[in-house]
Amino acid sequence: VRPLFSLCRTAGGRPGELPWHRDRVHSPLVAAVVMLSLLALVCGVVVAVRERPPGRVTLAVTGLAALVTLVQSGVAGYDLLQGRRPPELATYVGYLVGIVVVLPLAGAWAVAERTRWSGIVVAVGGFTVAVMTARLVMLARGTGV
Amino acid sequence: VFEGAPARARSTRPTGSGPGRVLVAVYAVFALAATSRAGVQLATDFSEAPLAYLLSAFSAVVYVVATVALATDRRWSRPLAFTACSVELAGVLAIGTLSLLRPEDFPRATVWSGYGSGYGFVPLVLPVIGLWWLRRTNRPETAV
Repeated sequence: VRPLFSLCRTAGGRPGELPWHRDRVHSPLVAAVVMLSLLALVCGVVVAVRERPPGRVTLAVTGLAALVTLVQSGVAGYDLLQGRRPPELATYVGYLVGIVVVLPLAGAWAVAERTRWSGIVVAVGGFTVAVMTARLVMLARGTGV
Repeated sequence: VFEGAPARARSTRPTGSGPGRVLVAVYAVFALAATSRAGVQLATDFSEAPLAYLLSAFSAVVYVVATVALATDRRWSRPLAFTACSVELAGVLAIGTLSLLRPEDFPRATVWSGYGSGYGFVPLVLPVIGLWWLRRTNRPETAV
């Protein structure tokens, strides 16, 4: 199984193996997380501009994005257990765990009070997940700060 | 401070309602970011930069307190939120200035380093908006 993120050399990496593999950064799953979280952002902004509370579509997109984010962290965690460790392991693990709670919390906070502002709450959550995924990719590449 | 407590309940609006929900959401993101950052720093290499890492932990506490205080609508919510936002503003200004004047004391970044430049200066703007929002909601219902 190919690793989700392009992580640095495995513990017992073969000689001549690249420290990271650019193609793996853009795995379909990571792309899906970014696309769906940005779609949640757009949906949230659209309902807010239309002065409506988030409807079924926005909440479905948010839920789907949350689910795919969970899968992403799960697969990345599996990669870690396989011994593919990025240089800043602790930060990387922190992001993998933290990113999972963002959209469920944003969704719950948005549903608890159904005003147009709840759409912006969803948008903030979607934006955060997209940024955190970008940071995950950087951390996995070893180019993160 | 709250001589008019019963009247206050009617003359103020909850800070976590309407546009305030967005403010709470952004504060929650920073509470998450600062807490994870501090946790990682304290767990991995605390001795490397104890001052910066303790400040990270302090900022994490401030963000968590501000998030809870702004989200809730209890008697203690408003004074607690005011305190947290004030401390946050003082912190980002002090740490931002110190991190520029004496970078050797801040070898590793905190959320407030460079006035929060690592987070798009949101840490600098957030307490100002928070204090403004507290002031705005501290009067009878107005059209939002």
